[in-house]
Amino acid sequence: MQVTTMTFTVEPCNQDTVIVRIGKALDFRNAAEFKSTCQTQVRSGARNFILDFSETGILDSTGLGSIFSLYRQVSPLEGQVVFAAVSRPVQVVVQLTRTYKVFRQFPSVDAAKEALV
Amino acid sequence: MTSDYCILVVEDEHTLRRLLEYRLSKQYEVITAANGEEALERIEERIPDLIISDIMMPRMDGFALQNAVQSQKETSAVPFIFLTAKADEQSRLKGMRTGVDDYITKPFDIEQLLTRVERLLERTKVFRTQLDGKIGQDFSRRLMPKNLPDVEDYRILFQNKPKEHGGGDLFDWIKADDGSYLFTIGDVMGKGLQAKFYAFSFLGYVRSTVHTMLSSTRSPAEIITRVNQMLMDDQVMEETFASLLLMRWEPEENRVTYANAGHCRPLLVGQDGADVVEYSDMILGLDPQAVFTDTAITLPENSALVAYTDGLSEQVLVTEQMAGEEGILAAAQHSFREEDPIDSMLKSILLKSKNPEFGDDILVFWLQRTGLNWFAPFAG
Repeated sequence: MQVTTMTFTVEPCNQDTVIVRIGKALDFRNAAEFKSTCQTQVRSGARNFILDFSETGILDSTGLGSIFSLYRQVSPLEGQVVFAAVSRPVQVVVQLTRTYKVFRQFPSVDAAKEALV
Repeated sequence: MTSDYCILVVEDEHTLRRLLEYRLSKQYEVITAANGEEALERIEERIPDLIISDIMMPRMDGFALQNAVQSQKETSAVPFIFLTAKADEQSRLKGMRTGVDDYITKPFDIEQLLTRVERLLERTKVFRTQLDGKIGQDFSRRLMPKNLPDVEDYRILFQNKPKEHGGGDLFDWIKADDGSYLFTIGDVMGKGLQAKFYAFSFLGYVRSTVHTMLSSTRSPAEIITRVNQMLMDDQVMEETFASLLLMRWEPEENRVTYANAGHCRPLLVGQDGADVVEYSDMILGLDPQAVFTDTAITLPENSALVAYTDGLSEQVLVTEQMAGEEGILAAAQHSFREEDPIDSMLKSILLKSKNPEFGDDILVFWLQRTGLNWFAPFAG
């Protein structure tokens, strides 16, 4: 079953892993929505998040902050947040903040699924 | 179309209550109560933006309700309109100095009531916006120093344009006993007034850590490591992420030793070119085990170390792309020989921007070694 909110599509892989399609932008306009979308998933048992950035052109510091919050939330539960199909603008932000050390990256959603599921 | 405002109508007479509810609900969200007691229950559930209340009611009358509302901190600012029928009530009302914003005599003209409601809500909104702005400005001022070091053979410039609402940029400096200086530049992530508050608390952390550790260490990385651990352990600061650039400057040696926790990488700008000062470590607040490393650079004559925050690099250009490191690099290079290089940098970025102003806090710090060959072509 797919759940579509205004900008984020969530697609379950298995009991504790979900794919979140980020869409065109994750920034100050929709970061709160991303947060609540993920929170709902965590509450219903999701631990591992595959973030699909294949279409993402904008990731600003507020957007990144909301991903950090998710990471802080799931890491005590042994969960992971991984980045899939990272676009160039997203790569730049991840490089600058040196956060590739905590967010594993995969060339595609399928590759991430294979590693996590 | 209904607005976001919520109005509480308190009236024991059923017909009048329904009439008011009907007319007001065309424009506002309306909740109703038949007496003061009920009204307090409704307020408990949700604080309205305005209260219209009758005076004579069973169980708890309008005066008692108004008193209760006035004495609670959360509700004391809610505009209050009395509906009054009797002359003696009116005279009592005239005697009341605080808390009652208006009163209307029964029988009343509903249009007149609607006009007054509108005016009161408008006034509250203006007041709130101004207050938010004032608090934001106050925090902003406290997040920035009032002056800069004055050192021979060096030119130090700084510009900061905080947004009233949002932005968590911070900047600070301190002179150590050994003659070196420590510069702190950071950015607390997130928008809104809260970012300012967190930036303020965070700067408090950094300041106290710097003060405590400066006597025992010369390493910015050690200080940053400690700040990161404190940030991760603190319950109140939970979910706070911040980038931080800590630079120790020894003017005698023309040396800057820095540790960078995920902050925009500084630039080294000279007459012939500009480069990114590359090494940096992870942003603060994510990993309690994060390791930070010091890097030392020597400033050549006629060169400047330029640090900034992401408001600059995330500025959206006409191309719909963010300015990015490349954009800042070009602007800094282009501005190196200008009388006011920071001003020139900002102008050149704005020229290429989609909007005529910056969308976020702007902060630029310029540390230039002028050296022997430097002359001020624009001075005098």
